[in-house]
Amino acid sequence: MNTNTNTNNVNTNKSILENRKIMSIGGILVLGLILLFLENNLSGYYHRLVLLFGINVILTLSLNITNGYAGIFSLGHGGLMLAGGYATALVTLPVSFKASALNLPHWLETMQLPFLPAMLIAGITATIIGFTILLPAFRLKGHYFILGSLGINVIMINIAENVRAITNGATGLRGAPPYTNIWWIFAIVVILVYLMWTLMTSKYGRAVQAIGKDEGLAQALGVNLSKYKAFAFMFSSFFTGVGGALWTHLILTISPSSFDLLVVFQIVMMMVVGGVASITGSILGAAIITAMLEILQPIQEGMVLFGFKLPQMFGLSQVLLALFLILIMIYKPDGLMGEKEFSLKHLRFLSGNNRE
Amino acid sequence: MSLTYILQQILNALSLGSMLALLAVGYTMIYGVLGLINFAHGEVFMIGAFTATFVLSLLGAPLWIAIILAVVASVLAGLLLERFCYRPVRGSGDITLFITSLAASIGIRSLFILIYGSRSRPFPTPEYLQGIHFFGDILVTDLNLIIFIFTAILTIILSLIIKNTDLGIAMRGVSYNKTTAEAMGINSNSIIVATFIIGSALAAIAGVAWGLQYGNVRPSMGYLPGISGFIAAVLGGIGNITGAAISGFILGVGQVLFVAFLPSTFSGFRPLFVWLILFIILFIKPTGLFRTNIKWE
Repeated sequence: MNTNTNTNNVNTNKSILENRKIMSIGGILVLGLILLFLENNLSGYYHRLVLLFGINVILTLSLNITNGYAGIFSLGHGGLMLAGGYATALVTLPVSFKASALNLPHWLETMQLPFLPAMLIAGITATIIGFTILLPAFRLKGHYFILGSLGINVIMINIAENVRAITNGATGLRGAPPYTNIWWIFAIVVILVYLMWTLMTSKYGRAVQAIGKDEGLAQALGVNLSKYKAFAFMFSSFFTGVGGALWTHLILTISPSSFDLLVVFQIVMMMVVGGVASITGSILGAAIITAMLEILQPIQEGMVLFGFKLPQMFGLSQVLLALFLILIMIYKPDGLMGEKEFSLKHLRFLSGNNRE
Repeated sequence: MSLTYILQQILNALSLGSMLALLAVGYTMIYGVLGLINFAHGEVFMIGAFTATFVLSLLGAPLWIAIILAVVASVLAGLLLERFCYRPVRGSGDITLFITSLAASIGIRSLFILIYGSRSRPFPTPEYLQGIHFFGDILVTDLNLIIFIFTAILTIILSLIIKNTDLGIAMRGVSYNKTTAEAMGINSNSIIVATFIIGSALAAIAGVAWGLQYGNVRPSMGYLPGISGFIAAVLGGIGNITGAAISGFILGVGQVLFVAFLPSTFSGFRPLFVWLILFIILFIKPTGLFRTNIKWE
């Protein structure tokens, strides 16, 4: 194809490029086609990788609402995922398992819900926990809030380990039905991106972003701090809980160590690498870190390279990720995208028709 | 619940309290000069414990050599952290600093898991430290007393240094207001380095004490004691050495008593105790129990 026809195409399509509605519908259709293609053509391993990527996008985006846009840096999201995961497991697990291993009230023991209500329950549970435990923590500032939110993580893990009647202790809950598939995950990704996109340009979103930029200034301009922080946190908690539910129905088990500090650390990495306060950045970051983790996984487990048997190296990926993150923090603390969004306008330079 | 029982529990908790106190002092000093939760402080503590384990079990050296080498290793680790992780991001926002220290912590811990595996290794406690005595019905182990006395002496010396020497005055100056301290001709870089040396050395001693008391070390050993140490630092009022040490003891003894007084079904909830205390303190008196040395905005 020569450049001439390429330029013509872009020029004639310019009016379509400007039209958001058509572009969004077209985008969703293209995504649907890609997903259909992926679902039918990928082998088990790569299919699972795409699913993990999708879940990571959900978790990263919801973490970004608080940690990126609103500037409330929380490490407590692991606890919220745990809450969502346990909630969905409890309402979907086989009745026989619940009767034998757990000691639940009768209505919960016999409950068998399909995926959508289970997911909603997971989201609502996470929201309630985020609201009740973390809202008081908003009195804390800066480092103290980070520490307090880390406490939420430790507390939730501790509760999951010790309230055996409901959580089955350290062994956790096994045998959740395999509901998660590519359609559920990416439908939620699309909904979440749409909600974030519209909310962040609405009055609510602008208030949240103002708080993230400068809390004192926002307050001076009449932004109700606690109201909008609570709003951002509950929005984030809900989708974190949903992400935990999707994860549970993909891995099929959940235990107290499922979402420890390392998991939160990975999601924080995805957010920070991609770009604080950027939707496309979060998606990019989730893609980069998911890929890095998967590439490092076989090396970690010991592989044969050019005839040499490499030993098992557990912890290698965490070491490299940590190094990578420190370098990012030193040289590009706002992440790859910063606060910008990727848009089709960035592709204009391809056509040599750079209109600012 | 007799008085003897309570006294016994408090005595048992003395060594845990001492370790938390040593960690808390390190945290409070580093937070004071840098405004940074040095999340990797728990890992510096772990490095000290590991070094002592190797010196004792592989070289068969006496304990005092192990302590010195542990201090050297931890100080080295602390200095490397300061130079290559924290100095480049100094002056960035709270969140950048915190993410850096979190990454450093997880990186070091994973590096040790990579090299030594995640299982515990036995820590060889010398026999002359394993003596026990009875006072009436109360059992006292030598180790408990030695760790406690050692910690108390170290803390008192340190607080005298901070109070009276030029170095100590400069440290307090930098933590109170860095710009003004620099304007007065204090080289804040060397003060920060000195703070890291002292903090890391204390962490190493806490690490050796941990090994002696519990008989094993593992790469993830620094996580919970590290957090408890920081909580003790917050409790003691950031920047206040004596406050941090006393709060370390309160947390250590409190944890043990928390388990001792509640029915045994609750013993799994022990980690919750420190968080409970933290939340209560932060809500009632966010500046901690004792006077702080930090300017609060």
